[in-house]
Amino acid sequence: MKTMGLIFSNIYDSSLAELTAHRTVASLPFGGRYRQIDFVLSNMSNSGIYNIGVITKYNYRSLMDHLGNCLEWDLNRKNEGLHFIPPFASGNSGIYGGKLEALYTAKDFIEDYDYDHVVISDTVVLCNIDYRPAVESHIKSGADITIIASPKQKGDNRLHALVVKADRTGRVKEVKAPAKQEGGFLASMGMFVISRKLLLQYINETFSKGQMHLERDLILKRFKAGKLTLNAYKFNGTVLRNRDIKTYFENSMKLLDPKISDGLFFSSSPIYTKVRDEIPTYYAKGSTVDNCLMADGCTIYGTVKNSIMFRSTRIENGATVENSIIMQGSRIGKNARLDYVILDKDVTVTDGTVLCGTPEHPVIIQKGATV
Amino acid sequence: MNFKKKECVAMLLAGGQGSRLTVLTESTAKPAVPFGGKYRIIDFPLSNCVNSGIDTVGILTQYQPLQLNEYLGNGMPWGLNSNWGGVHVLPPYAKNKTSEWYKGTANAIYQNLNFIERYNPDNVLILSGDHIYRMDYAKMLAYHKEQNADCTIAVLDVPIKEASRFGIMNTDDNGIIKGFEEKPEHPKSTKASMGIYVFKWDVLERYLIEDEEDKKSENDFGKNVIPKMLKENMKLCAYPFEGYWKDVGTIESLWEANMDILGEDPPLNLKAGSRIYARNFAKASSFIAKSSKIINSYIAEGSKIYGTVINSVVSTGCTISKNAVIQNSFVMPDTIIDEGAKVYYSIIGEDSVVHKNALIGASPDTCEKSEWGITVVGKGKAVAPGAVLAPKENY
Repeated sequence: MKTMGLIFSNIYDSSLAELTAHRTVASLPFGGRYRQIDFVLSNMSNSGIYNIGVITKYNYRSLMDHLGNCLEWDLNRKNEGLHFIPPFASGNSGIYGGKLEALYTAKDFIEDYDYDHVVISDTVVLCNIDYRPAVESHIKSGADITIIASPKQKGDNRLHALVVKADRTGRVKEVKAPAKQEGGFLASMGMFVISRKLLLQYINETFSKGQMHLERDLILKRFKAGKLTLNAYKFNGTVLRNRDIKTYFENSMKLLDPKISDGLFFSSSPIYTKVRDEIPTYYAKGSTVDNCLMADGCTIYGTVKNSIMFRSTRIENGATVENSIIMQGSRIGKNARLDYVILDKDVTVTDGTVLCGTPEHPVIIQKGATV
Repeated sequence: MNFKKKECVAMLLAGGQGSRLTVLTESTAKPAVPFGGKYRIIDFPLSNCVNSGIDTVGILTQYQPLQLNEYLGNGMPWGLNSNWGGVHVLPPYAKNKTSEWYKGTANAIYQNLNFIERYNPDNVLILSGDHIYRMDYAKMLAYHKEQNADCTIAVLDVPIKEASRFGIMNTDDNGIIKGFEEKPEHPKSTKASMGIYVFKWDVLERYLIEDEEDKKSENDFGKNVIPKMLKENMKLCAYPFEGYWKDVGTIESLWEANMDILGEDPPLNLKAGSRIYARNFAKASSFIAKSSKIINSYIAEGSKIYGTVINSVVSTGCTISKNAVIQNSFVMPDTIIDEGAKVYYSIIGEDSVVHKNALIGASPDTCEKSEWGITVVGKGKAVAPGAVLAPKENY
């Protein structure tokens, strides 16, 4: 049984608009040294899925630049590997109306390869998962589609695109989309297992009817009509859903909890990313670093607390950074003070500047800006 | 087939056992010994090659090559994975009638003359795998061609009182080498050989064949080949190098070189100058806990720091637990320092564990000068809880 992968790189761009003006949601930096797509790509590679299509529509230069020849993910292969699936030159702009529309552009790619199953995933749900038992569960269940889903997390009252209730064997009895996750329901992680032939059939059928939305138009509608059997594969590990700026910020800060970060990063299945050949991080005399995630190549003279520092960032003497996310190449000048701030890449904060946001609304400074 | 010609091929001598590095090289070759948090010694000459535009490097290995070979792989991390050229690991091999180990530095190159021949280079650069320095070999090569030398040797100006530790070149005013003395008692000059040679390819080939035929020769560049060339009035030039260079063949010098990257204006500044490439492993960002204290130190990715780190280099994937203290030390990759353990003026080998409350090494202020030295824990070792390792001890 051979499995291939399909990844949507910018279905959810608009939900993180302030950070996706110049990039796809897939190439959004996360966790000090990663881009969001690193998680799903590493999961697929670690699970032996080596033939992967990345469906993309616009703003994908940064994504192509990040992935390069895919060596870091061990996806530089002779007969398999990573394939970019840009849109047909159809003239319409904007993001895809939904995953089904995006899948239609990947139809040729899916047809070209002789694989048994396809794992479909987005890039905004971050976890460290082995897809092999999920595919096994799918085969054993005999269901049309397997939904990879997680149990309710404490305090999660948000709407999910898809929640399901399953019996002990995993057979789905009830589907809601969209809905809050009530007790006993599992929330979809936007990851699905489906046979390649069935996927092609669905793509053709839904496209001709103008249906675009995978969860609503295909799964919910057909399940309710009794035309679709569903299997739920329960994933009990750490799951972070970056669905908007607020959750992106919260989830970044969650990485400071070793219980959360140890659930994402462990040596038996590493998360890979692009190598940048930075030097180690230098902590000068007089610097203070409390409860922070520090990537390589940083130079710290000032004070950093409860923050995520990306590669090649610099904090000058007397500067204080708290509760903030500082992306690659940004520099914080002398005596500047930052609290609840997201600095995109290559931002310069001039000496003495004060930026203060709140946990609900962190201050976001655009890529390359000087403030 | 002119496109196959290379102007210069580098041959990197990486077969040294490194016995003076004691427990650090018990199971690994000296060039694969870690340095500076995320590098290995060989990254320096390899990165220098790439940064100097040399894309063909033969690496002569012999002693404990497994880790080194794995580290080098196809040369991709250094951009040396080209279709023609790139990195080639050259171990000794069995030939038609004979098979033998590399007898000396010159013999190692001699046994691989056919490798160099394939590229038909004008010049061959001979490098060592145990020096830490940044150098633009292109400038040395230009000097070599400008002088029309048969062989050019890079030299470093050393203090006269240290000169007797080096191979010393005696030159005339034009930088032409007139004499060479290995570790002279009364040095006549302060120009120390850095073990970096550029040879005209045809001259090198001829001298290596002659050297091999000489049964009395020890087949060593410094002892045999260079003296013979001088005797026969070949043109040997000294190329003056200015900058940081250190032979890290001993525990003390390896420790010193690591300390040389620390501070505001360090002798070896990693932050400025050409980039040093290394094979990177997939490690998450480092976690620096509230209980930690870090002063004037480098810490590489994938580490967890709960304790105190002062004037030290902590490599990738290390854990420094609560109340542990690392001071003026170099901790190699993937090592765990348990709670309450204290490490002073030491080198801790990779994949080691220093258990609770162990005390390793001492500051020079706290003991007799004659008794003080760097303490070393080898690769993959475990130091028992509460154990004490004295200065100079090799565990």
